[in-house]
Amino acid sequence: MATANPIPDSAATTDVPVAELLIVLAASTPPEQIEEALANLAQAFTADSVIVAAPDGFGAHVSTPLRVVPAPRSDTGWTLKPTDFINAFEIGRKHESRAVLILGPGSSSLNPNVLRAMADSVFNASTDLVLPHYALPPNSGLINSAILYPLTRALFAASPRFPLAIDLGLSMRMTELLATAAQRFSTPGKEDALLWPVNEAVAAGFSVEEIDAGPREIPQPANVDISAILALVTGSLFGDIEAKAAVWQRPRRSSNGHRPDSSASSVGSPEDVAHMVEAFRLAYTNLSEIWSLVLPPQSMLALKRFSKVDANVFRMPESLWARIVYDFLIAYRLRTINRGHLMGALIPLYLAWVAGHINVTASGTAPDRHIEEVAAAFEVDKPYLVARWRWPDRFNA
Amino acid sequence: MQNTTANLLQSTRNAPVLPVYGDGSMWQQMSDALHQSFYRVMMLLIGVLPGILALFVALVAFTLGGALISWIVRRCLTWVKFDQRLAQKTGTEWTPSSSPTELAGRFSFWACVVLGLVIGISAFDTAYATGTPLPISLLPYFTRAVGAILLLIAGILIARFLGRSVLISAVNAQLQYARILSLGVKWLVLVLTAAMVLDHLQVGGNIVELAFGILFGGIVLTLALAVGLGSRDLVSRSLESHVEHASPTAFIPEDRTAASKTIRHF
Repeated sequence: MATANPIPDSAATTDVPVAELLIVLAASTPPEQIEEALANLAQAFTADSVIVAAPDGFGAHVSTPLRVVPAPRSDTGWTLKPTDFINAFEIGRKHESRAVLILGPGSSSLNPNVLRAMADSVFNASTDLVLPHYALPPNSGLINSAILYPLTRALFAASPRFPLAIDLGLSMRMTELLATAAQRFSTPGKEDALLWPVNEAVAAGFSVEEIDAGPREIPQPANVDISAILALVTGSLFGDIEAKAAVWQRPRRSSNGHRPDSSASSVGSPEDVAHMVEAFRLAYTNLSEIWSLVLPPQSMLALKRFSKVDANVFRMPESLWARIVYDFLIAYRLRTINRGHLMGALIPLYLAWVAGHINVTASGTAPDRHIEEVAAAFEVDKPYLVARWRWPDRFNA
Repeated sequence: MQNTTANLLQSTRNAPVLPVYGDGSMWQQMSDALHQSFYRVMMLLIGVLPGILALFVALVAFTLGGALISWIVRRCLTWVKFDQRLAQKTGTEWTPSSSPTELAGRFSFWACVVLGLVIGISAFDTAYATGTPLPISLLPYFTRAVGAILLLIAGILIARFLGRSVLISAVNAQLQYARILSLGVKWLVLVLTAAMVLDHLQVGGNIVELAFGILFGGIVLTLALAVGLGSRDLVSRSLESHVEHASPTAFIPEDRTAASKTIRHF
């Protein structure tokens, strides 16, 4: 056991320590979590093998056997920010690291073996990007299940279940790639921008791997308003997809997906379903005029039919949901309507999908199995997206 | 009866003597009046015709020039592969209809058209001011009409944008009267726009201001009554439902009720 040494002040560091692995605790990690995170890391790594970059100014009273260097702090954020990647690259280059492990807020809930496995994957398997596959409760991460995972899997043929994971294992060249991409968002006013590591890795031809990470506490945004979250996350993904159109339009072999967890469990309650279906019906009455600017007549007809279905048997077919998301993506690209309005108009449809998902899982289907079916539907319908992306006016003819 | 006839004859004798033209008949006087009026109108048209012609010539010439410049800009930018270079630098891909080359072409074309319009109107304005001593009340509106049309277009766009914003926000907040609210906001902006357009055209004067005040106030009052009194039950039901069901963290951020804890969107 190495002797405990207090955290050095940033000004006191004179010589530059060198280590093959740099572990960066995200700039938004709360000070009270840093001690736990360091204790967790100390169980996974030996003191001389790693350097930990922790947000500056969390107190000199914390003792740890690990070598800790200061990194800039940010008080906002529930996910990794562009500045995290820029800082990781700069610190990694300074300390001549070969790999970087970026850990988001709440990383102390990860098993130390998972941290070790992520680092090993980068070193031994020469993987550029390692993402954890969290074992979340079935009622969590529904935006990810409904939109982020299926879209990423269908368009980029990459199967990580959590494309917006907040813990990442990166090779140095992947870190540099992400830092370069993050420079685009370094201007004031873009602090909330999100970076999509999987998309960047696929576009650069880098290797991506996913490892089972077990349970993890996922930090939630301070503002839990669904409008803000959906607009931020989905809008950011749509923007990234728009920027990488040349990449995902190339023919790719579909990913194999995941072997779904077959354990059935209910995602929500009948009250939740009733409330969401009611929200969908209200939206159908009021927003059908706006939806009709985005969706083709077949989808509108289907929505009309579903608006009359009882809440307890309500279910949105996977193919319809895939088509809706693709049509919204096309509208985002063409700016058919204001993008803020577009994201707002998607919310009731997303809630309808969630209501259907709850009903499906309540009928005995495992949540994971249903999500895999949704992702498969996105893959099947990808030619529609490519065709409309290239010839948008075909829909209007 | 006899007295009345005698009074009428007396008043006729006392009336001033009217000038007599030609043979002095009424038809001749009317014909002369019409000739003079026709002469005045023709003089006015002759006075403003150069201005109108200048307006159309400037508009047509600058439109043609704009089309030519737009074509040259497009060809040049395509030749230097401007879109591809910019896409490589910024990492953004554009749709064919909104590529930087296309936008530059459109901008140069419409800049020329607007320039032609401004020059034409300026020429017309000058010709009208200097060449026509006779006032015709309709002509000044022609020059103001351009500004009024721009105001109208901007007003309609803003009304539609605000109407949609309110509608979507209200629907996502599950307000049952979302459409009424949206229509109210939309018509408020439209009424305001109409008043501004009429004011810009100097039509109506105080009547427009008065009518605008009545209409604007009426719409606001109607909305307030509809929401506050007429839909009192609806509002209370909506608010109750809002509080009770506030599912998935979605509708009331502050309210983390039992229902909101069951589902986490992120």
